[in-house]
Amino acid sequence: MNKIELENVSFRYSKGTPFEKIALDDISVGFEEGKITGLIGHTGSGKSTLVNLLNGLYKPTEGRVLLDGRDIHENPKEIGKIRAKVGLVMQYPEYQLFDETVRADIGFGPRNLGLSAEEIDERVKEAAAFTGITEQMLSSSPFDLSGGQKRRAAIAGTLAMRPEVLVLDEPAAGLDPRGRREILGGIREYVRKTGITLILVSHSMEDMALYCDNVVVMNNARVFRTGTVGEIFSDAQSLSEIGLDIPRVAKIAAELCRRGIPLEGELYTVEGVAAAIRSYLQRKEADV
Amino acid sequence: MISDITLGQFFPGNSPIHKLDPRTKILLAIAYIVAVFLADSPVAFLFLILFSVVIVLISRISMRVILRAIRPILFILIFTALISLLMTVGEDEPLVSFWIIRIYTEGIYRAVLMGIRVILLIIGSSVLLTYTTSPIALTDGIESLLSPLKLFHIPVHIFAMMMSIALRFIPTLIEETEKIMNAQKSRGADFTTGSIVKRAKALIPLLVPLVISAFKRADELATAMECRCYRGDKKRTKLVKLQMHARDFLFFAVFAALIAAVVLLRIFTPAILERLPGAFWQIVFHRIR
Repeated sequence: MNKIELENVSFRYSKGTPFEKIALDDISVGFEEGKITGLIGHTGSGKSTLVNLLNGLYKPTEGRVLLDGRDIHENPKEIGKIRAKVGLVMQYPEYQLFDETVRADIGFGPRNLGLSAEEIDERVKEAAAFTGITEQMLSSSPFDLSGGQKRRAAIAGTLAMRPEVLVLDEPAAGLDPRGRREILGGIREYVRKTGITLILVSHSMEDMALYCDNVVVMNNARVFRTGTVGEIFSDAQSLSEIGLDIPRVAKIAAELCRRGIPLEGELYTVEGVAAAIRSYLQRKEADV
Repeated sequence: MISDITLGQFFPGNSPIHKLDPRTKILLAIAYIVAVFLADSPVAFLFLILFSVVIVLISRISMRVILRAIRPILFILIFTALISLLMTVGEDEPLVSFWIIRIYTEGIYRAVLMGIRVILLIIGSSVLLTYTTSPIALTDGIESLLSPLKLFHIPVHIFAMMMSIALRFIPTLIEETEKIMNAQKSRGADFTTGSIVKRAKALIPLLVPLVISAFKRADELATAMECRCYRGDKKRTKLVKLQMHARDFLFFAVFAALIAAVVLLRIFTPAILERLPGAFWQIVFHRIR
């Protein structure tokens, strides 16, 4: 079932001025409940606009955004409730930190929800645990943290609101491989444990293959393809048509298949390809 | 959206006004303002209005854009006119006398002419300066005009550089404000409802990150400039040197004639009035004090 859905949505910037620009052109796409859906596409393909539509920061020029089947702009006064349900973490979210301590900053969202002090404290602790923020960090100023820690604190600030849908716009941009793994791994664990719906915007095909269930490919203000990770990455041809790449390991697997080594299984993660090669070698041995 | 705000917007173009040297334009704007303040009779204002229309036509900036410049000051405009209308005490009997309101003929003259004066000032300075001069050219012009102050050890170049950097970063800061606002809205911040105190408090999550990032940006910019060996105006040469052309001198002559015409009108208004009897001429050459 689709948790959140866009129905024939178009979006234009600066409508009615000479600077008018179409960012989304009549797109319809759904994001499955409890799954991790990746959103990929080139810069300027409309990813970030789509993300801003999901929690009502932007209002579609045409079409509707449906959360649990209801139009989020149905009642403009309730938009705050929508934003509590759809947590959005923007690109480079560390600039949003402002409070005296990390604890208070993570608690900003829950405070806006009007929760009790104990409830806020509990949620802050939970969010900090998932993002790997220690007790000591919680008491320090957010401006004393390192870049990666700031990023995690900012993500924790949204997790603490316990959203039903979490939207992350390039959460790992500009981090080293270890920082990427920590953040994305922590989030995946959180999603699996709580069963929320996650939408992950990324440039990295490797991250998509590793962490996502489904993938939505955007191109030129339209949805180009949707499908499971396996479906999307087995169709390398059409991805390369719009200038996107498949994960490197999937390329190796494809090349092996082309050279007469039949592989089967999840041919887009390192583990999957390794298992496929292993089983191929075992079959070959058995034949001999 | 915030980004729809136009602050001293520059409209690139290729008109004779656009091509003028920025120094010329600054001096012309000053001359124009002097002329507007020297004018003191309906005939002088009529003359100035005609002159301004010609300047606008030459600049090829659409009238709609010009009128948009007046909109933000509409309140001040009405306020000034009203004050003049109600506060002027004339020599003759009041035209209207109602409750504590006394309106004299002089008051009407002053209110109308005050309004026209403010509108002319806005149109003149925006057409001659902001609409047709890029911020960079404008600061270059100011720097060049103020350069005699260097004799008194005033760091003119540094002021000009500070000004152009400030102008350059206005759009960046607006964009950044919008970005942070959206991020905090996503965390449930509410900037639009509640009491004034509540709204002022709601600005903290916006202002703290904004100030911090502005400082960071300033620091990075300073480092980047130093990396390219910027050190103030120590023997700094310019890529594009300002140069006056025949066009500039032509405009100087026209504006000098404008001031001369306004001054002559001012001097000879009483004499003309004596020679031209009749109500019509009385109004046209009425001297407003």
